[in-house]
Amino acid sequence: MILERREFLKRGLALGSVLALPRFAWAQGARKEPGARTLILLHLNGGNDGLNTVIPHRDRNYRVLRPGLGIDDGRIRKINDQIGLHPALQGFEQLWKQDKLAIINGVGYPNPNYSHFRATEIYYTAEPDKTPDLGWLGRALDARKSNKPLRAMAVAKEKPLSLVSGSPGVVTFTDFKQFRLPDGVDDTAAMYESFKELSGERRELAVRTLEALKVARKIANLSPSGRGMYGRLGNDLRKVVALLRSDLDLEVIQLTFGGFDTHANQGGAHNGLLAQVGNNLRGFQAELDRLGLADRVATFVFSEFGRRATENLSGGTDHGSAYPAFLIGGGVKPGLHGAYPSLEDLDRGNFRYTTDFRSVYAGLLRDFLKIEPKGIVGDHKPMELFA
Amino acid sequence: MEGATAVGHLLRRAGFGATPGDLDEYRSLGYRKSVQKLLDEIDRPTPADPDGFDPYEPGAIQQLWLDRMRSGQAMLAEKLALFWHGHFANSNAKVQDAQLMWSQYRLFRSHGAGRFRQLVEKVSRDVAMIRFLDGNSNRKGIANENYGRELQELFTLGIGNYTEKDIREIARAFTGFGCRHHDFVYSPEFHDDGEKTVHGQTGEFDGDDVIRIITSLPACHRFIAGKLLRFFSHSNPTDGEIADLAKVLEKTGGDIRSTLFVLFHSPAFLSGAHHRVLIKSPVEFVVSARRATGAAGIPPWCHGALERMGQILFRPPSVKGWTSGTGWLSAAGVVERFKAARRFAQEAAPETADSILDTAFDGSVPQALAQTLAEASGRDRIALALASPEFQLA
Repeated sequence: MILERREFLKRGLALGSVLALPRFAWAQGARKEPGARTLILLHLNGGNDGLNTVIPHRDRNYRVLRPGLGIDDGRIRKINDQIGLHPALQGFEQLWKQDKLAIINGVGYPNPNYSHFRATEIYYTAEPDKTPDLGWLGRALDARKSNKPLRAMAVAKEKPLSLVSGSPGVVTFTDFKQFRLPDGVDDTAAMYESFKELSGERRELAVRTLEALKVARKIANLSPSGRGMYGRLGNDLRKVVALLRSDLDLEVIQLTFGGFDTHANQGGAHNGLLAQVGNNLRGFQAELDRLGLADRVATFVFSEFGRRATENLSGGTDHGSAYPAFLIGGGVKPGLHGAYPSLEDLDRGNFRYTTDFRSVYAGLLRDFLKIEPKGIVGDHKPMELFA
Repeated sequence: MEGATAVGHLLRRAGFGATPGDLDEYRSLGYRKSVQKLLDEIDRPTPADPDGFDPYEPGAIQQLWLDRMRSGQAMLAEKLALFWHGHFANSNAKVQDAQLMWSQYRLFRSHGAGRFRQLVEKVSRDVAMIRFLDGNSNRKGIANENYGRELQELFTLGIGNYTEKDIREIARAFTGFGCRHHDFVYSPEFHDDGEKTVHGQTGEFDGDDVIRIITSLPACHRFIAGKLLRFFSHSNPTDGEIADLAKVLEKTGGDIRSTLFVLFHSPAFLSGAHHRVLIKSPVEFVVSARRATGAAGIPPWCHGALERMGQILFRPPSVKGWTSGTGWLSAAGVVERFKAARRFAQEAAPETADSILDTAFDGSVPQALAQTLAEASGRDRIALALASPEFQLA
């Protein structure tokens, strides 16, 4: 295993600082600035090839595992004497230099699942041992009671399980236009206004509907904005920028970018996908800087699994387990977190995880969303991911 | 409630609301005979799948089920199938075979009103369920506890009424229940025939023994009684109301039809306090709007609308089923209902403008809406009626 000195030092420092802080700051009540922070989740759908994304270029085993798909040493964007980024990740290299990128190595969990569906379910619910019913973010939102009619959004056709909860405060959408209200809505709204005078379910229905209408009017007036973003992911990120600029005060926004299931002829496809991820997230972050939002937004980039260490005979890689995830933002503790998994000591051809994803979630909950993580992800120790 | 109000209430709860045509029929039958008619219709055989129907196509199975709900043939049987679909909430997102989802629907449709124990026996052999809860990986020595857990937590007993040991023992009992392609198979070589202890009873149990044991527990009767009350009657049944209905389940050997008969005649169901207290799910809203406007079938554009409202048949968001009540009132959900209301009005039979107030409001327009509706005419009136708060409530 490669131990990062920088990471080691940081962990030591972090331990000291956490002891100096008052414990359970979140327990002191609702956060002072509601909606002040928004967590963005980007799911790289299909299982991203971690080994060719964050490359342990000094490890001889890399060439053994990847005789065909290995990236030429001269093209790897080296960030230190051990680790480098895929050549297409110019955007991430710049974020790294700006101290806005945290790389979280070896993300996984015990007894990994290799089915896209089930593995996604596990990452969306943080429940590897049972068929889950609510999402981890849904439970987190439920844990922090709020009367706000809108708390989280997903750019998706179907609500992702991560955001499933009992409350209506989660909205999925693909296009702001879908919130445009039909003709005659004022007359309709007037009926609900008069129902507010009634009692019980009728009143509850009216109040909630009118709140939802108000939110819908706001969303309908938005349009995607921001420079330096392109393609499908870029379009979705431009919608996120518009949402962040509005006064909707969203706590969570999730989006998905697919195509990472590279079983065959991976090289060019993976290159294109990573270029879109790196360039678009760089553009997104630059836009947040311009808008003065960089410190209140963090973007977590994850996948349902990484890919097999050894390449297959079709010039691709099969479903794997542990992989590097990313956290981007003005407030993140930049650098490498967690140890890079061994390239020698594999588990049936797959990397052994070094960082339980629930520790990452716990860190995001405790230090960014300011929600007590214990009730959501159990006893996993929160990872120190924020400066 | 009595008279037209009670009949309208029954049609919304035990079905998908009235059409202008059948309202007179049910009213002249009166309440008791209307209940009987709805219960009797359950015995009508499930219609044969129409020519050209492609059960491999997820859109086609949703379309056909919506059309059946709309048709009003065996309305209670379809409503009950919807109840069980939300209860044994399997999703084609995992099953990945619409034909299996469709045969599960046919199971709910044909056995949904029978004895609960028998339904659980059939569901435990249903291939979509076995795929959904990983039956094939539950084998002697390497038990997969998914089904053992959900069977108790979500399907029969509810949380707090079983132990982790019960889960493990039940998983062992179900070893050997599996599927190959589209068929249930029992594989003795995978079955753990050792002794198990389940809810205090010990024996060399298999899956059916477990079902016999847990479906006769008082907790199971209470769990199913509570769910039936919350779906068909009101969202906050009292312990006493649940206990009373649980008693019916106990006495009738878990007979759902008898239980519904008692439920539909109970004072709580017919209490004015429970008139229009359930927020319609998107499917209920769409089907009831289509029925109220006397329009045939469910138009294809409704699939996208339902998706944006948050309810796709055969794709519940998790094994816990769909949300309920105000959970449906998201910004996207509300906008979509209002847009759909206008579209339903445009597609309505023109004479509906005269009958809509009767079908949508049981003939008595709520005071708070009277003026707005009186000032509107033609299709505007229909659209307003369908978008009105009263119409969102079953």
